[in-house]
Amino acid sequence: MATQTTPIVTLDPRDDAPPAPSRLAQRPATLDGKVIGLFANNKPHSEDLLRRVAAIIGERYDIAGAVEHNKGGWQWPARIEDLQRTASSIDVAIHATAE
Amino acid sequence: MTTHSFADWNDAQEYYFANGLTDGLPIVPPTPERVQAMLDYAGVDADHHLGTEIIRQKRFTAGKAAVNAVMAGCLPEHFPVVIASLAAISERGFNLHASSTSTNGATVLTVVSGPYADAIGMNAGVEMMGNGARANAAIGRAINLFKSNFYGSVPVVMDNSTFGHAGKITFCFPENLAISPWPSLASELGYGDRATIVKAFATLAPLQVTLHGGRDPADFLTTVAHAMLAFGPGMPEVICVISPEAMQHIGAAGWTRQRVAEFLHDKARLPVSEWMRWKRMGHELDHDRMVPVVPEADRITVLPGGGMAGAFISLISTWGSSRSAIRQVDVPN
Repeated sequence: MATQTTPIVTLDPRDDAPPAPSRLAQRPATLDGKVIGLFANNKPHSEDLLRRVAAIIGERYDIAGAVEHNKGGWQWPARIEDLQRTASSIDVAIHATAE
Repeated sequence: MTTHSFADWNDAQEYYFANGLTDGLPIVPPTPERVQAMLDYAGVDADHHLGTEIIRQKRFTAGKAAVNAVMAGCLPEHFPVVIASLAAISERGFNLHASSTSTNGATVLTVVSGPYADAIGMNAGVEMMGNGARANAAIGRAINLFKSNFYGSVPVVMDNSTFGHAGKITFCFPENLAISPWPSLASELGYGDRATIVKAFATLAPLQVTLHGGRDPADFLTTVAHAMLAFGPGMPEVICVISPEAMQHIGAAGWTRQRVAEFLHDKARLPVSEWMRWKRMGHELDHDRMVPVVPEADRITVLPGGGMAGAFISLISTWGSSRSAIRQVDVPN
């Protein structure tokens, strides 16, 4: 059975646009004296994980404290007003998920 | 737009396979001519803006939609439905990014309501969610190919569905207006009898329920409400597709679409204590409070559909925090 061997030109289905620019937030030189914000996503172990992370950080730095916030669900972003309110009382934030 | 040149059709297929640009099945090579035919039919330019998904900052264009639609096997007359659905899922409330990454394995279901579905040969009868109808299969596939190829929801790379399901290849069907005693969903939502809309959902796999309890809707829909309990509390939306055999009884009893939704909303609920006993809710002080599966009756979309034989209902749950999105199909004159 004969097969078609005609040259063919096709278009690419991927996004040709460059990825949206993003950058890391500015990091403090040290965590000494800083208040750590811990953002849990409401999965069963996320708060446990974050507390352990905060404990490890506390062993390595002389942190001023840790503030916990649970955004209420893993499926959606934290509410802007919650982020703004919490941001005013912390120096750095850690967001984590855990199953 | 980036182009590729190949010695023959087979080389083109292998390129798309090798670069992860298919769903595992062969594609129709998206030649410039085929892509332009899509755009011409819909009367849009390649750069026509369908919507922007805000999390990944992806600007959906008709040109890239057309490339993926050709690959999926769409005919030009299918394309107005494809671009309406892609515009819908770009809405922030649809939460495309999160639903495309989740272990839950959500896909995009496109429900089409209105006369254009029939005009382009969509199947609302036997096998409406299955195989056999090009329009259903190709439109749903186009949306999924766009989601993986353009948006980036590639298995393992971004999409980490634990199981996935067949709807992640294609999931699109119309409302069956021929067997419905009700105005179309499009009409009931205020778009008018002649309008065609798409209602897009981020859905998990369908759950087919065999109906028991005779001909009284209040009896056999209780079976459906019981099945909905499996979804647990806090389900954002549920789609309920009712077979013609069951629709006959619902129509004869004079139940409206709204009444079916309200009945299911009212019956599909448990007290907090019961949800807690089954580990579906955490701690809450009021153990007697009744908690429904979906928070409001209008979060249940009721649709007639399917083959004439069989008293079944198909329940389709939705993902996480995603909310359905609606667009009117811009039907060319």
